[in-house]
Amino acid sequence: MNGHVSRRQALAGIGLGALSAGCLGRTRNIAGRDRAEQLTLQIDAAPADRDPNAIRIARHLAENLNAVGVDARINTLRRTDLWRKVLINQNFDIYVGQFLESEPFDPDAMYAFTHSQFVAEAGRQNPFGFTDVNGVDERLERQRRVEGEERRDAVAELQRSLCELQPFTVVAFPDPLTAVREERFKGWTNRRPLSVGALLGLEHAGAAEETGSTDETGSTNGMAGDGDAGADENATADAAVADGDAALRLVTTDDQITVNWNPIAAEYRREGTFTALLYDQLALADGGEVVPWLASDWERVDAETLAVDLRDARWHDGEPVTADDVAFTYEFLRDTSMGALETPVPTPRFRGRSSVVRDATVVADGRVELAIGDVNDAVAVRALRVPILPEHVWSERTDVATIAGFEFDVETTEAVVSNNEDPVGSGPIRFVEATAEESVVFERNPDHFLARADAPDGETDPAAEIPERFRGKPAFDRLRIEVSPSDIAAVSSVGDGLADATVSNLGPDAVPRIGREADARLVTGRSGGFYHVGYNTRRAPLSNPRFRGVLASLIDKESLVDEAFDGYAEPAASPLAASPEWVPTDLTWDDPEADPVYPFVGGSGTLDVERAKDLLREAGYRFDGEERLLSRGV
Amino acid sequence: MNPFLSVVGSLVLWVGGGLLVAGATIVGPRRLSRLRTELVPRLWSVRRALAGLGAVLLVSAIGRSSLQTVSELFGVQLTGLIYAVEGNFVAWVQATFVVPELTMYFAGIYVYGYVFLLAFPFVAYLVLPNVTTLNRLLVAYGLNYSIGLAVYTVVFAHGPRNVMPDTVTSLLFTYNPDIMALTSEVNEAANVFPSLHTSLSVTVATFAVLTRGEYPRWTPVALWLATSVVLATMYLGIHWLTDVIGGIALALGSVYLSYRIVDDDEKTDSEARGDPTAAGA
Repeated sequence: MNGHVSRRQALAGIGLGALSAGCLGRTRNIAGRDRAEQLTLQIDAAPADRDPNAIRIARHLAENLNAVGVDARINTLRRTDLWRKVLINQNFDIYVGQFLESEPFDPDAMYAFTHSQFVAEAGRQNPFGFTDVNGVDERLERQRRVEGEERRDAVAELQRSLCELQPFTVVAFPDPLTAVREERFKGWTNRRPLSVGALLGLEHAGAAEETGSTDETGSTNGMAGDGDAGADENATADAAVADGDAALRLVTTDDQITVNWNPIAAEYRREGTFTALLYDQLALADGGEVVPWLASDWERVDAETLAVDLRDARWHDGEPVTADDVAFTYEFLRDTSMGALETPVPTPRFRGRSSVVRDATVVADGRVELAIGDVNDAVAVRALRVPILPEHVWSERTDVATIAGFEFDVETTEAVVSNNEDPVGSGPIRFVEATAEESVVFERNPDHFLARADAPDGETDPAAEIPERFRGKPAFDRLRIEVSPSDIAAVSSVGDGLADATVSNLGPDAVPRIGREADARLVTGRSGGFYHVGYNTRRAPLSNPRFRGVLASLIDKESLVDEAFDGYAEPAASPLAASPEWVPTDLTWDDPEADPVYPFVGGSGTLDVERAKDLLREAGYRFDGEERLLSRGV
Repeated sequence: MNPFLSVVGSLVLWVGGGLLVAGATIVGPRRLSRLRTELVPRLWSVRRALAGLGAVLLVSAIGRSSLQTVSELFGVQLTGLIYAVEGNFVAWVQATFVVPELTMYFAGIYVYGYVFLLAFPFVAYLVLPNVTTLNRLLVAYGLNYSIGLAVYTVVFAHGPRNVMPDTVTSLLFTYNPDIMALTSEVNEAANVFPSLHTSLSVTVATFAVLTRGEYPRWTPVALWLATSVVLATMYLGIHWLTDVIGGIALALGSVYLSYRIVDDDEKTDSEARGDPTAAGA
């Protein structure tokens, strides 16, 4: 009886109490707090058909994250959509992708990738939203100014900061694998088979006997020699006739080059090899060597000025390439609206290089002076490696981008979003035709200085200072790129004689196939395009370098290299690992077992869950009763 | 030769041969010979359903790439959810059952068996004097395609082989890369939910069960083939279990709707009214 009464009393008491000011305040104090919930992270990657390696890294990380109590989800997107999401909209948690440099690169490439001055810009520049003002920023600026040993030190310090703070986790440098057949073109280097320099350096295999393609097939069979490829001969001959004898036929799983030819469109370009063949740069980097390209020469006229002399060249539409075009290009890359909009709209590619050149002035016919500030020679020359654009085409594209007359985003110009159909460049190949998502055809530009080098019409050499391997090139009359549904289908196209080489990444299932295709050969080399896991440091808890450090130690780079890359990659801690001369000894991957900075928590592919959780606890994170990692307000 | 053409060539050859054999054994030459005079009037009497199916296929062929763009930009990205829900089921299927003989079987079923399974009922039901079943079949095909296309646009998801390339081999393409040339012409890799292979096969099987009185020999064949196609989608690593369940639901829904849309009595009435030869027969 008493109990009954007392409960009613108690209820009344709570009711009264809740209404009284003191307890209402307490209720607010509790209910006003957001409840901590399990941390959810989405990992974006391209599907296996487009990128056979990235999705494996993504799943590896997701599995280990799930093991430590994070709700990690994989999300697959087409490559263009992935880059649009990450680079333009910056609306991601974690992505897996490649650094988009085909060859080992100068340390200054990290400037655009990680400098905090680019956090608010859309494009390749600093997609992480990473800021380390006194550390990384300072070192990035310093390595631009100083030379020699001092620069080496600055770059070493820069790598230490990046490795410690992990705005992105370097996973591995993949070998750029390519399946080639050599009966039509030879000279596939084992350095970087598909760089601009390598494609231009190819030689026509039947150069001596233009019509002898069938005979060539026979002799190459003999050389390749590990199978009977007789049945392929007819197919080869058919394809050769359809495209002309001197057509180079490449096959890729990336369809971007069949729909978009804009050299500055960040979401459509990978290394930009084909747009670099369409649009000449002032200087060409080829295997560590810098070749004077559209510029015949340059000199440092004073500490802060670089004078550049242009070759005699014409745009694909017949207009001459002038010094004004060069000056326009540098101004345009800094602000693609050319001052027409309230805020500048910088280019989403080449941002680091274009930020070196503060001003460009035409000083004479065919001579431009670039104000480059106090930078060292390596950085100055790197700034010459941007595509030179025709002013008469791109000055029309400086307005705000619109759809049917409506402005969607005032920070976007037509130039950035244009597909650049019928591209007008000055490069050694010209656009011919394309079928969206199927194929694209280019042809040799006979007016180019490389082509004219074979038959000089005056006393001046149109291709002075150009190495012998490029003179009279390209060796092909046409360049056809076909889109293939997967890496495996791409390899079998090469095996069947329908293509001369694969262009896109090959996964571990495709590589053994090359050995089985009688006429195909595996070519590889060194790449600067490291696979990495990128974090959106604008979002908690990814904003915390300690948390990112734990994520880095959840990635078993060694076993990923074995499994996801079938051994065709080098695990690495530093983004500069492809250029070992820059990497300090404390960051090199000497010991095959361990990452020098954030070693994998566990052994031989299996995660030590408890130790990983301890690392998270040490970093200040907490778990609920069901061992789920808690996080507020995500 | 172009791999696309060689695959299409052998497809026409095999399916054509299969239709001849099945026509002789399941339908019977007597009933088939009747088609000589009645083919045109019967096709005429199902013209509306045929035109509807044709329109859906045409829209699908023309609009597919723009709908795909819409799906990429605005679709709900469900790959992660599907993977989180069913996990490594398809990987388990492959790890448990894959042997070369089964791979050959399922690859053949997925391409040739499937086309035969869809083509044969059209012939079989065209032979029947009452065109109601044929009408319903065509309507159900049309519903499958149109609803499937709509869901494809709303849902953006990649299949298991694109997410788990290490544990799920795309067996079909690894062993028959030529077939990829064909399927990539008609399938987008990002359209996996629901499985149209599943839904159309289950549609045919459902009709086979409902019309077992007319073609008792067809019912077990259809059930066998349809089950094989459904299993093949997962065995070959192309579809998730989720896609298959979605496909079955789509099939049953389409058959139900086709019965609601094409009413037996009404149809024979309108046929009598609209078709002078039917009145004479």
